[in-house]
Amino acid sequence: MTLFIQYVGFGIVTAAILSIAAVGFTLQYAVTNVLNLAYGAIMTVGALTAYAVNRSGASIWVALVAAAASSAVISVGLSRAVFEPFRRRGLRLFGMVIVTIALDLLITNGLLIAAGPNPFSYNAQSGRTYHVLHMIFTSQQLTVIGIALLAMLIVRAILQWTKLGRAMRATAADENLARACGINTQLVRDAAWLLSGTLCGVAGVVLGLSVVGWTVSTDDSLLITVVAAAVVGGIGQPYGAIFGALVLGVATAIVGGYFSSSWTDITAFVILVIFLVFRPTGLFSGVVRRRDVAT
Amino acid sequence: MAAAVSNGWQFYLTLLLVYLGVDIIACLGLNIQLGLAGVMDFAFIIFQAVGAYVYAIFTLGPASSGLGQGAGGESYLWGTSWPFPLPFVMAALAGVVLAFFCAAVVLPRLRGDYEAMAFLVISLIASGIATNQVGLVNGANGLYGIPQPLSSVLNLPAVQYDWFYVGLTAMICVLVWLLTRRITTSPMGRLLRAVRENEPAARALGKDATKARMFAFLVGGGLGGLSGAVLVAFITAWAPSSWGYAETFVYITAIVIGGFGNDLGVLVGVLLVPILFGELVRFLPAYGRSTWIEAAQLMAYALLTLLFLWFRPQGLVPERRQRYPAGGEIPLDPGGVPLARRLRPRLGSAGRLR
Repeated sequence: MTLFIQYVGFGIVTAAILSIAAVGFTLQYAVTNVLNLAYGAIMTVGALTAYAVNRSGASIWVALVAAAASSAVISVGLSRAVFEPFRRRGLRLFGMVIVTIALDLLITNGLLIAAGPNPFSYNAQSGRTYHVLHMIFTSQQLTVIGIALLAMLIVRAILQWTKLGRAMRATAADENLARACGINTQLVRDAAWLLSGTLCGVAGVVLGLSVVGWTVSTDDSLLITVVAAAVVGGIGQPYGAIFGALVLGVATAIVGGYFSSSWTDITAFVILVIFLVFRPTGLFSGVVRRRDVAT
Repeated sequence: MAAAVSNGWQFYLTLLLVYLGVDIIACLGLNIQLGLAGVMDFAFIIFQAVGAYVYAIFTLGPASSGLGQGAGGESYLWGTSWPFPLPFVMAALAGVVLAFFCAAVVLPRLRGDYEAMAFLVISLIASGIATNQVGLVNGANGLYGIPQPLSSVLNLPAVQYDWFYVGLTAMICVLVWLLTRRITTSPMGRLLRAVRENEPAARALGKDATKARMFAFLVGGGLGGLSGAVLVAFITAWAPSSWGYAETFVYITAIVIGGFGNDLGVLVGVLLVPILFGELVRFLPAYGRSTWIEAAQLMAYALLTLLFLWFRPQGLVPERRQRYPAGGEIPLDPGGVPLARRLRPRLGSAGRLR
């Protein structure tokens, strides 16, 4: 039982990282309708930026901000340079998936050539350990959870109480109607890419902090788990994505703990397929029902 | 000395020709799914993988027969040793069966992004299970020392056998080409194009769209399985690292460049992408890191795909608009409308989605 509770503790840390990435993913997918499989590559860009800043002597906090900024820039840049032009050309969903996979392969392999296959680790103290109800956390892990909670609060505040947030929700619900109401949907889409890029960069750094060593492909391999969290929660539902992240984080930690860590990814994949097939709208049905992706 | 060099070249040439054959079989299969029926099969490589594994276990002999004398030995669930054409047939059947299970899960319910995502994840799951469940097909090390067909009967020197195998591959390619042409030019091919272009319209005409998509998917899966068998019978080793999800992307690149839904275009795409382009990179001086070349190759494929989708989405050999003789039965389905036309925007409130 103690062991079980410990695994749940690991799961909560994973869930914190996942939720940051998943909220960004779900927001951007809901608003822009682009299933962005290059999200993992954007995360890697942030993580590597943070690494460069961190190794040049700056503290991990400065590195975190640098990562968020670089990922946000890349995210908006890709949208403006690639996704929006293709969209204006009328490339259909099918082509768009190929475009995002192509971009992911392009960026990830480019970074692999530039940065090499060896693992990196940040220069940061993991701090003393705390015991909470048999769960063991380092102060670094508690910080990660804190960052996740803070990010969630900020996203909630933006969505709930600002004009931009309302415009985002309106665009996600029905873009044409939103435009008819005088909303500048292009600006809203840019904002969604910016916000998701920022969250993505933060997630990349906290993921790097939570593992012993990360490589260029670490973030990419987390991507499907992030997508799974977003789908389980219902695409377009930020709170759903947080719940999905908790489900995925704890489930993979328990499987990893009792069986083997090599099965954790597969657990996430299987959960994703089950949800895609049997409940594509997720636990909290979001915008999927109005899209032509599932019957 | 000269003979040794020329033998090396012959070995390389035969390997290249077999790869060409394998990629043609696979891409024709994927094109039936992707180009003709519009099923976003991002898991295609698992059909090739299962075909290769099934060929292996139907030739390697029983699992306990002491074949494990190699480095570490191989462990696999079950095995036997059947005579020549049967392992190829079993491989194709295995592709069909696996395609049936995948299709039964995904096709009736999912479309668009979710269909693509589901297949992508199925590909990752298959690869993960094959790697981690070592008893199944020897895990990450894979199967090796797989017998070549008829090699013990013919008893030829290595180079001559390689040329014999090239001939065998060519024969299989011709058969697959005839089968593919038969499907793409048949009423079924027309129905598949109709379903691809406008599924509700096809349904409204009383066509069973799900069944048509399923048919195309199973044929594609079978050809995928066959291509895996042809490949593994020549290279005699097969491991999960040979069939990552990115391999499907290479085939998709070939189809995008050659031309969606056009069999001839697929041939052009295969010649250009995995063969000419993929093999040319091998001649680059192998300086720097060993992962460099593979990464550069994938980058080049990705860039090519983006450029083609932007500048020439219909591919080098576009799908021809099919015409039907006047006076006969008027075809009600919009068969043969090029996919490129579908890639253009449509106005209207649902334009973003439909």
